[in-house]
Amino acid sequence: MLGDEIMMTNELKDILLQVERPARYVGGEFNLPDMQKPCDERVCMCFSDKYEIGMSNIGIRILYHMLNDMDGVVCERCFAPDLDLAKLLKEHKMPLFSIETKKDLKEFDIVGFSVQFELQYTNIAYMFDLANIPYYAKDRGEEFPLIVAGGPCSVNPMPYAGFFDAILIGDGEVNLKQLVELHKELKPQHLTKEEFLKIAIEKVEGLYVPRFNNKAKRAIVKNLDEAYFPTKILVPNCQIVHDRSTIELFRGCANGCRFCQACFYYRPIRERSVDTLVDYAKKIMDSTGYEELSLASLSTSDYSGLKELVERIKIEADKRKVKLAVPSLRLDSFEAEIYEELNGASLTFAPEAGTQRLRNVINKNISEANITSAIEGAMKNNVKNVKLYFMIGLPTETDEDLDGIAHIAKEVLWLHKKSGTSKMLNVTVSTSVFIPKPLTPFQWEKQISLEEMDRRVKHLQEVLRLKNVRYNWHDAKTSYLEAAFARGDARLMPVIIKAYEKGCVFDSWSENFDFDKWMEAFKECGISVDEYTGEIPEDKELPWDVIDNGVTKAYLLKEKHLAYEGVTTPNCMGKCNGCGAAKLGRCF
Amino acid sequence: MIIVVKHVKAGDFAYVSHLDTMDVLHRTLKRAKIDVNYSQGFVKHMLTYATTPIPLGTQSVAEYYAVDCNGISAEEFLERFNENVPQDLRGVTAVAKPKNPNLAGNVVASDFLIKCKNVVPVEIEDIMDENEYVIDLNKKGEIIQKDVRSMLYSIFVDGKNLWIRSATGNTNLRIDSFVKHLIKVYNIDTTMNDITRLAQFVQLEDKLIGVDDYLKL
Repeated sequence: MLGDEIMMTNELKDILLQVERPARYVGGEFNLPDMQKPCDERVCMCFSDKYEIGMSNIGIRILYHMLNDMDGVVCERCFAPDLDLAKLLKEHKMPLFSIETKKDLKEFDIVGFSVQFELQYTNIAYMFDLANIPYYAKDRGEEFPLIVAGGPCSVNPMPYAGFFDAILIGDGEVNLKQLVELHKELKPQHLTKEEFLKIAIEKVEGLYVPRFNNKAKRAIVKNLDEAYFPTKILVPNCQIVHDRSTIELFRGCANGCRFCQACFYYRPIRERSVDTLVDYAKKIMDSTGYEELSLASLSTSDYSGLKELVERIKIEADKRKVKLAVPSLRLDSFEAEIYEELNGASLTFAPEAGTQRLRNVINKNISEANITSAIEGAMKNNVKNVKLYFMIGLPTETDEDLDGIAHIAKEVLWLHKKSGTSKMLNVTVSTSVFIPKPLTPFQWEKQISLEEMDRRVKHLQEVLRLKNVRYNWHDAKTSYLEAAFARGDARLMPVIIKAYEKGCVFDSWSENFDFDKWMEAFKECGISVDEYTGEIPEDKELPWDVIDNGVTKAYLLKEKHLAYEGVTTPNCMGKCNGCGAAKLGRCF
Repeated sequence: MIIVVKHVKAGDFAYVSHLDTMDVLHRTLKRAKIDVNYSQGFVKHMLTYATTPIPLGTQSVAEYYAVDCNGISAEEFLERFNENVPQDLRGVTAVAKPKNPNLAGNVVASDFLIKCKNVVPVEIEDIMDENEYVIDLNKKGEIIQKDVRSMLYSIFVDGKNLWIRSATGNTNLRIDSFVKHLIKVYNIDTTMNDITRLAQFVQLEDKLIGVDDYLKL
């Protein structure tokens, strides 16, 4: 009869009918790899947020298909279930399961978590709890799988490292593949986890093993054109956040904004060629049927062949009635003609700071003239919405810099008026709070206090009372916690568990975030958040010093000092600034 | 030209909502490179038409999906559709029609099979002898009483199987609501996932005719 092929018990079928959006948990997406192939190694890739977030992540897409394309390896997925399903699983004493075969996480050989964001740390505890897996790696016996983590938060894994047997630092195409191959190869030897990990730190690039506290150098893909990239990706059966196909143009960023972790973390800069990308674009549009194709990178404007690429892909996209999206265009290299090609109705710019002085401090190398010409270009293309993103609480920021944000918004309105268009323009100004992040020149900086964040938001509310301008601001309390965990150490692991036990989960979802419970958790662990958000002396050893991410501490310190002098460092596309990342592989 | 494909909605797809299923079918048509006609409005969309949705969790072997398209035979359509659709939405037949048969407007009834784990009491068939049959229905979170007798065409019990033909379309009896009522009153042991739509019907004069036959007319 119908549905015999799905591997769900009647109990689970009943449960799924009681939860919101059950499609998130059943799988069966188009382009699903063969789960029945002969395999020696079963991996479950976990993502500590909901299906619609995890399935939008390009890294997850790449690694999932890469593992499934390996001989003798099957990879399944598991996302953090929503609270309604979690409650029912507990009531029915059912463990958390993989999407594809509904298997208990404990039955896999390797369980891998992608850790994307500091406010997801309690979700790791949540998923471990639902899977009946002890939180601490040291408390788990040989009957449990090897549990590893990777993803952007591995830049400083110390606050959550205690959960894992190993942390993969860098590009998963390299070290996750090496780890899985090695585990498969050594499986017949029935090694203990400790014995395996001793061998693995010698053979797997960028492997940090918390119990050995070894030095680890980030693994990178040296040639992106030769790296694995899936063109037959899963097409979800329910709407996800980024419901489109995506191709990655290049990795790394040449701009060197001094607050930006991604910019330094993903270096060295490596591009895919236009020919490769056009080939991927055609294949991915044909194999998915998606209505939109996105060209992804940290700063798409900096892609050396952008104009040719957009022209060539646009022809293919038009043939297939597919819309082309080009996010992450930068103000200074904004090309109106590209925008015209794309015929959009909304533009998003991120000047980040309101005055030229502060933009120099943070090394956001765009001028007032760049902003003006970009907006003028946009007006010519009948843009109806302009979104402007800024940060508050940046080092050396004054009220004059805040007033500069209002000045830019007024400038946009004036340019719109000057353009003579009869169409209305909406301007949205959004601010987030500066968070000092590891591996940035501002990693030693303090974060402003909660009271000061509040005062600056109020100041902006006053100065942005303008017709057709809307002001949004990011919650200060989540930024405060994010700062603590970004630069945290192993002392914060008990706080994560304590907060989870108090009910903190899905902290990045505003409806679930409970600041008071977090403060209780810190207090009961005898730790003050302020210990982690204050200024760090330049000569102090940092928790993440054990990880070699490429960019040197000396370079970051030099950049910090230049910031205080208001001196900018040029984009390194033209000339290498010697950040140290090139030693890992190559820039260009 | 309109091609009407009859497809299943089974297995994993029982848990996929109607709107999400429509997105999946649109992407299927794109992957299959079917030359679908689009609306000519500001936001252009594919000209496709589905019949009344089945409730979440239930399955079907008789969903109909009409596609306004060009230059393809029904046989080739079905072949390309099945190469590009998830297995749990696979097509069964396809028929070419010169114009839209408007199944959404014309379908009036559906047959459902409800498989139970226990023997179904034959007294359920007596419902058809009543002049009125009032059940509780959940309408936007509010419980209301409604006489559904006129929405029931037939009920047949055979051991652990229960067949119900009920109103579908503009006048619609949600099969999940009715089965929940039967679970409560007659203690039948079943779940929504054990309900399968077997066929849909249109009314021609005073007779119900299966959609498959209607499409041959």
